[in-house]
Amino acid sequence: MEIIQKSAPHLRKPNASVVRMMSDVAIALSPLVIFAIYQHGMSAFWILLVSVLSMVGTEYLYYQIIDKMNGEKFKLNNKSFTIYNFSVVVSGLIYGLTLSDRVSLVVVAIGGIVGVFLAKLIFGGMGQNIFNIAAFARVFVVLSFGGAIAYDTFVDSDVGATVLGLLSADMFDASVTEHYSYWTMFSGIGLPGSLGETSALLILVGGLYLFLRKSFDIFVPLTYVGTVFVLSLAVMLTNDAGWWFPITHIIGGGLLFGAIFMATDPITQPTTRPGRIYFAFGLGVITFIIRIFGDLPEGVVFAILIMNMFVPAIDYHKWARNKFTFRSATIFSLVVIVTIILTVVGVNYVG
Amino acid sequence: MIAKTKKVADYKKLSTELPTLRYVDPERVYLSLNTDRAKQYSVNVETGDYVKLGQIIGERDGGFFKQPIYSTVSGKVEGFQKKMHPSGMEVDVVVVQNDFKDEYHETITDRPESVIEKMSREEIIDVIKDKAIVGLGGSGFPTYIKLNTDENIDTVIINAVECEPYLSSDYRLIKDQPDDIFKGLKYVMQAMSASQGVIAVKKTKTELIEVLENELRRFKDSNIKIAKLDDYYPQGWEVETIKNALGIKVPSGKLPMEYGVLNINVSTTAAIFEALKHNLPITKRHITINGDAIKFPQNIRTRIGASIKDLIKLSDGFIDEADKIDLIIGGPMMGKSVTTDDVLVNQTVTSVLALKSVETYEEPCVRCGSCVFSCPVDIQPVNIMNAYKRGDKQALENLEVDKCIECGLCAYVCTSKIHLTDYMRKGKNFLR
Repeated sequence: MEIIQKSAPHLRKPNASVVRMMSDVAIALSPLVIFAIYQHGMSAFWILLVSVLSMVGTEYLYYQIIDKMNGEKFKLNNKSFTIYNFSVVVSGLIYGLTLSDRVSLVVVAIGGIVGVFLAKLIFGGMGQNIFNIAAFARVFVVLSFGGAIAYDTFVDSDVGATVLGLLSADMFDASVTEHYSYWTMFSGIGLPGSLGETSALLILVGGLYLFLRKSFDIFVPLTYVGTVFVLSLAVMLTNDAGWWFPITHIIGGGLLFGAIFMATDPITQPTTRPGRIYFAFGLGVITFIIRIFGDLPEGVVFAILIMNMFVPAIDYHKWARNKFTFRSATIFSLVVIVTIILTVVGVNYVG
Repeated sequence: MIAKTKKVADYKKLSTELPTLRYVDPERVYLSLNTDRAKQYSVNVETGDYVKLGQIIGERDGGFFKQPIYSTVSGKVEGFQKKMHPSGMEVDVVVVQNDFKDEYHETITDRPESVIEKMSREEIIDVIKDKAIVGLGGSGFPTYIKLNTDENIDTVIINAVECEPYLSSDYRLIKDQPDDIFKGLKYVMQAMSASQGVIAVKKTKTELIEVLENELRRFKDSNIKIAKLDDYYPQGWEVETIKNALGIKVPSGKLPMEYGVLNINVSTTAAIFEALKHNLPITKRHITINGDAIKFPQNIRTRIGASIKDLIKLSDGFIDEADKIDLIIGGPMMGKSVTTDDVLVNQTVTSVLALKSVETYEEPCVRCGSCVFSCPVDIQPVNIMNAYKRGDKQALENLEVDKCIECGLCAYVCTSKIHLTDYMRKGKNFLR
């Protein structure tokens, strides 16, 4: 028997681990995977398989090469490889679920390889990345292979345009609810769109699971969705558009998926509670502004990447504090009010 | 996981209900001459001398305070040697062989209640100083210095929260000697001319509350209250206790005394009672022997100066299958790890824990924020760690690393099992 010297604390929380957190995300995503395969058939299966394998394979190869360069012996089970904690599998799954079912598998693979390499590995691997890997890969594919990916603007005569695709043409086109009933938008059955974003119901189930397991910070999706809701409500009230307007903005596009599975990636979030609320508020504002004023019908992934860049600034030690102070709460509420006013003015007089 | 953690799995069930094993008298006691607080000392006994229980055998000098050293048994001085102190330091000790007669020194005489009632503040503090009473919660800070404050104290709060996991020594002390605690509190209130006394215990310890409330009936006219506090960690940190028991917020860097509150540990109160009533120095204390690597967890009342090795032997030793163990003096969250079980018991040893050593695999930080949400002093452990790794002094200052009380919660909750508390210590040292 041997007495070991360690420094306090000598106890660790038993059920806190990265493996548990990441596998929880994978479990929360699984209904969406099944739904995607049910809805789109084998093409969805192949896309998800390729997206996961391209990311996992790239990471594996990268660490083998790094070890080789460091002169270490070849081992099949690489020590830096993060598949054991599911983080790269989760990135791959989320990336696959943001794609439409018509993307060619080559494009999926290129996006996965470039995404995991440029957004994760060159920053130093897990925990070091600045950008959300899945969002980066998705944006890379959209910008590089715009035609091939059959994005929302690409109206497919068989299926019809996505909800936000219709709204992109005319912001207050109330006929959108005639194309797709609320139930279609909520359940996602028969709704065109990316593999994973269509079924609001299953996304909420996944979110509920993550919340009950405390594997994500519920404040981020709540603030994010809440911001979009408040902004669309303000627009609705000033344009008498009807309740369909805020509802389609929340359940019609990729907002719920992005809010629950992508914005909550802890690595690319600020660390403090107020910081996370500012972050999610920024996400909501940018998403809504891209949807209303931008050329693209959808802005979730861009909003995530843009706000990811501000995370170090939000976390900067000069002002990041664990709790709202009177001053920070006042400034933040003022910013919220000004944002609402600017959006309304923008919609009515500029847009 | 990614949430504010306040509860720490406490494992107290293992030992709270066990009766205290009394009269555990060691064959020889090791009385430390110098300690981590007082480096200089003088001795006035020699090998072969016969000493009585409560006899002064020397004096420690800690710079700003002097402290007599008392023998805790009667018997022959066997000699002088070096031994491990609970602080992890090798110290010089006097070895006294116990003759099991407990012959009291002439100065150990009872004071009648009527005499104590008439004692002035100075007299009470003098007794506490003479009998070398120190903070028994673990600090070891001389109590008389605390009582000598210039501030006007109106509330004396007895901290009986004991929020660290595994510990039950204060629990047993209250159950065994509730009367001593109430009287000790009364004496302190008399010394400080405080108008009220508060005993802070955890709400969940219903049996203790029952004991205390029964006892309270006998002290109806003393304006003593029992504050039932929520069960969370670190409730026993004095700032947290005072906030929840009295509603007074003591900002970081200030002393509770400046707000009219004097915070004393419950075992210290019992020691103050013994010093005033029986004129006794601290000779015995309650110690919990616990942990998952101990065969039979126990509460023991033993002499100061006993060896921890003997106490562990009384608990039937370590379990056989454990090949690596952590031996901790104090609680598992803030306690000190020692490398050998050949350590003497001093006044501040609340418990000895032997835990099976679990290798934790440290993963990269995923910035989940659990440490930030859980921190009781509202600093950001993860950002402090990163600032320390960059060697960024400015950031460490802005992030207020000096506020850290090293409670251990950040490392406890960490999703990636990173030893954040260690980074906090390194960060503090880096700023110095």
